[in-house]
Order: sequence, then C-alpha cells, then structure tokens
Amino acid sequence: MSSWKEKPFGFTLIFGLVILGLVILPFFTELYYQTFLTELFVWILFAISFDLIFGYTGLLSFGQALFFGIGGYTITILTRKYGLGTEPGLLLCILIPMVFAWFVGYFSVKLTGIHFVIITIIFAIIANIIGDTWTSLTGGKDGLTFSPRPFRLGFFQINLMDIKGNYYFVLAVVALCYLILRRIVQSPLGKIFVSIRENEERARLIGYHVQRYKLIAFIIAGGLSGLAGGLYSLTLKYAGAGYLHWSVSGHAVVYTIVGGMGTLIGPVVGTGIILSLEHYLVNFLQATDLVVGIVLVVMVLLAPKGIVGLIQSRRKKGKASA
Amino acid sequence: MPETNSGILEIKNVNKSFGGLLAVNHVNLSVKKGELHALIGPNGAGKTTLLNLINGILHVSGGNILFNGQEITNLSPHRISHIGIARTLQITSLFPGLTVHENVWTAAQSRKKFFNPFLPARRWRDVQEKTEAMLELTGLKEKASLICSELSYGDQRILEMGIALSTEPKLLLLDEPTAGLNSQESMALVKKMRTMLSGQTIILVEHDMGVVMELADTISVLHYGSIIAEGPPAKIKENEEVKKVYLGTEDA
Repeated sequence: MSSWKEKPFGFTLIFGLVILGLVILPFFTELYYQTFLTELFVWILFAISFDLIFGYTGLLSFGQALFFGIGGYTITILTRKYGLGTEPGLLLCILIPMVFAWFVGYFSVKLTGIHFVIITIIFAIIANIIGDTWTSLTGGKDGLTFSPRPFRLGFFQINLMDIKGNYYFVLAVVALCYLILRRIVQSPLGKIFVSIRENEERARLIGYHVQRYKLIAFIIAGGLSGLAGGLYSLTLKYAGAGYLHWSVSGHAVVYTIVGGMGTLIGPVVGTGIILSLEHYLVNFLQATDLVVGIVLVVMVLLAPKGIVGLIQSRRKKGKASA
Repeated sequence: MPETNSGILEIKNVNKSFGGLLAVNHVNLSVKKGELHALIGPNGAGKTTLLNLINGILHVSGGNILFNGQEITNLSPHRISHIGIARTLQITSLFPGLTVHENVWTAAQSRKKFFNPFLPARRWRDVQEKTEAMLELTGLKEKASLICSELSYGDQRILEMGIALSTEPKLLLLDEPTAGLNSQESMALVKKMRTMLSGQTIILVEHDMGVVMELADTISVLHYGSIIAEGPPAKIKENEEVKKVYLGTEDA
C-alpha cells in the first residue's frame, strides 16, 4: 500500500490505462464477455466495500449481503412500482442500505470478535426470511423482474437495457467508487479505521470513540454494498431474496482474502481471479466451488496477506537486498 | 496528606471492589502540577487498578476523581484522553502492523476536531510536523519506516510513550515502563524518560525501586488497596511501615 501512496503518479497512470483498456474492450469482444465483465465489476465493488469494514477496520461482517440484497430490491421496486428513474433510484440504493446499516451497526459494533460475526449473520438471515415471505413487496421466492429506465445526466443518456450501455455504466460507477474509497482510506478517517483494526484499546486510549468510528465504517461499507446490489439488479433486471442470504457475503470474504485484505487493489485482483477461474472451470467441471475452496485454503495457509501481500513482500525483500 | 484542591488530579475517597474483594480502598491522592508522583506497592496492591479508574477503563465503586477541578469520575477512556490524561500500559500497547511513523501519526492527529474523509491525510502539515517532532524527541526518527513490531522491546516502550505524548496530555499515567527490560535497558529508558518527559505531570507505577528513587518527586505506597505512606523518596525510604510491607519483602 505504501508504494502506491508514495507514487501517486504511478497509480494515476495504471488506473488510467486499466480504465482505457476496459473502455475499448467492448469493441473487440463478444457481448457474452461484456456481461461477464459487468458482473465482475459489480462484485469488485461489493468486495472493496466489504474490505473497508473487514480489511481496514478489522470487522468480519457477514451482513454485507443484507445491504447488497436491499440495494437490489430498492432499484427494482422503485422502478417497477413507482416508475422512479435510475438516477434517484441508484442514489436511494446507497441511502436506504445506509439506514439499514446504521440500524444493524448500532447493535453490532458494540460486539467484538466472533460475536460481531454471528450477529451480522443473524441480521442477514432475518432479512433473507423476510425477503422470502413478504411476497407482496419482494415477489417472494420468485423475486422481481423489471426494465431499468435509461440513465440521464444532462444531455447525456445511457440505455441500460443495452448490454454495452450497461457495461459502460457499471464500469463508470465502480471506477468512481474505487477512487472515492481510495480517498477515504488515505484520509485521516481511514487512519482511524486502521488504528481500530490494529489495536482497539490503544485507539480508544488516544481519544478515538471506537464504536462511533466502527459505525461510520459500517455505514459507508453498507451504502456501497447496497450500490453494488443496485447495479447487479440493473444488470440482471432482477432482484431476489437469494441475494440477501448471508452466504453471499462469503463471496466478498473469499475475493478479499485471496486478493489481499487491507488493500483496495487486493479485492479487485481477488475478484478477477476467482470469477475468471469459476467462469473457465464451469465448462468442464460441476464442482467449481470445490476448486475455489482449495484455492482459498492454500492462500490462507501460504499467503495470508493474499496475492497483493505476496507481491508487496517480494518487492520489499528485493529492495532490502538491493 | 497534601491539602486538597491544590493538585491537578484529586482522587477523593475512591473505592473499587471486584465481587467481595476491595482492590482499591478509600484512596485519597493528590497530584501536583509538574511533579512525578510514583505509586509503589507489592503485587496486587491495586496500583494498575487505580490507574484504570483514573482513565476510565474501570468504573469506580465509590468516590470521586477530579481533574483540574472538573469531575471526571467514570468517563470513558476516549473522553479522558481529550480531557488531557494519557496512558501507557503494562503490556506494550501499539498498532503492531503499522510503521513507527504511522503509530505516532495516528496519535498526533487525534486532537483534530473533524476527520475529513476526502482529504489525503498527508496534507495535514501540522500533524506531519508534530509527528516529525515526536520522532525526533523519542530518537526513533531513523527507525520511522520500520513496522513497529520490528523494534526492540525498549524502543517499543519509548514509542508507546511517544504515542501518549502526541495526544498533548496534561497528565501522563505510566504503568511499569521498565517491565520486561533488563537493568541496562531500564537505565537507558530512564535516561530517555528524563529528556522526553521533562516538565510533564506524571503518575508512575513502577516496581523497580532504583527507577522510582531516581525519578520520583513524591511517592505513594499502596498496600492491599490502601495508601499507607506518602512523601518524598528520602522520607519513604526511612518509613518503618513501608520497609515492613514493601521494601522488606523485596529484601527477603
């Protein structure tokens, strides 16, 4: 992480090149890959929002699925029932999950360790049950389908029913969120989050209201997880209670650990690798989860700081010996 | 007993019981501005418990604690920190995965009112300067980019004091800074403390009598949760009761 910080120009260059590559990619690929990449971007946003609460603040939240699912329902229900446009709809995909995150967080951040993990799972389970049974609102087990309205910003308009349009839209939103999160983790507030992860007691002793900052991290992460859920529904044109299931949070856990927690680039790399692996394996293997599981176990045992951590320590060693 | 209302910190008739055990028993203590006030006593005498009561890690069972005349009894530790009392712990408490610089920085920025989430932290020049000054003062400047768990144990103790000092305290609570150090390291730490902490008001809990006699202006002796003697080092040395309960047991 420090090497990124020291060379902001290096980051701008790499970030710019990656985005440029992704912008021109649809001109050379089939629609099929664009759909895959759009979903990949969504999961990247989900993973980096999870990493803010887990990798940076040190809280293993399995509640992110709750916010993801609510984000999906938000855009779907508002568009279907109330004909709301995509622009206010997406804004509410952040704000409504934030309100839920405030509520869940209020009870959760008082707990530490395994107790925190369990209470976030419980909240997600409750939400999943409500989503499954409140058929008039959520469509129950079938879920809800809808047709997203085009996204408008001044004269600018994107048709989200179009796969390519959807691709660009999700790419833009996720890239923007990445930059915002990067700002946050490098800000004084981000330093507080990290200090809580490193030593809660010490953070408290130097004057930080630890619970308040945990709650702030939880609300920010919840809002961005909700936005990821909203984007996912825009892509699939569907929302369902399945996305509220706590195990959906497990995806983010896997991507983040494999890629490298406590960095933003880690979850991006992890999501890319795992989803590509699954995508490839599914052609000739049914048990893709098994392979992912093995990858996870190997990573945890051999490289607990993930792929990015591995590369960083290599670099550091190289520098030290040079 | 020194007269009340003269000290920066006034502990008045404070009790702490754990179940049936009275760990701190009607303690009265007054710490004057600028003095180094040592708390000594055998293991289990209630020294650390008393520090924990002062900075809100534990709640009192009875009594009052005043700081600059303001009631601070049972406030939470983060509020105590902002009121001006800093603390080091018996078991070193740092941010282990962060660099020495980041450790100090995190404490140095703690006096800010608003933590702008969209401002890069490095733009806070005043915090940067404060951090540099503290690294200079602690003598850890050369090691600033090391992960703090890579520091020697003695350096870690100094860093923890640096972190505490970075919160600009008016009163510093030091809980056995020389715990776990050999006598040579202890001497080095004491020397460092003399320069780092000059002018500070300090409550020092310490087992090493050499360190206490060297540094303290006033000594209070705790025994089974009660203060049995108080006075300048020379007087405490001669106190018969103290010899019996504390120094005596050490000699035996």
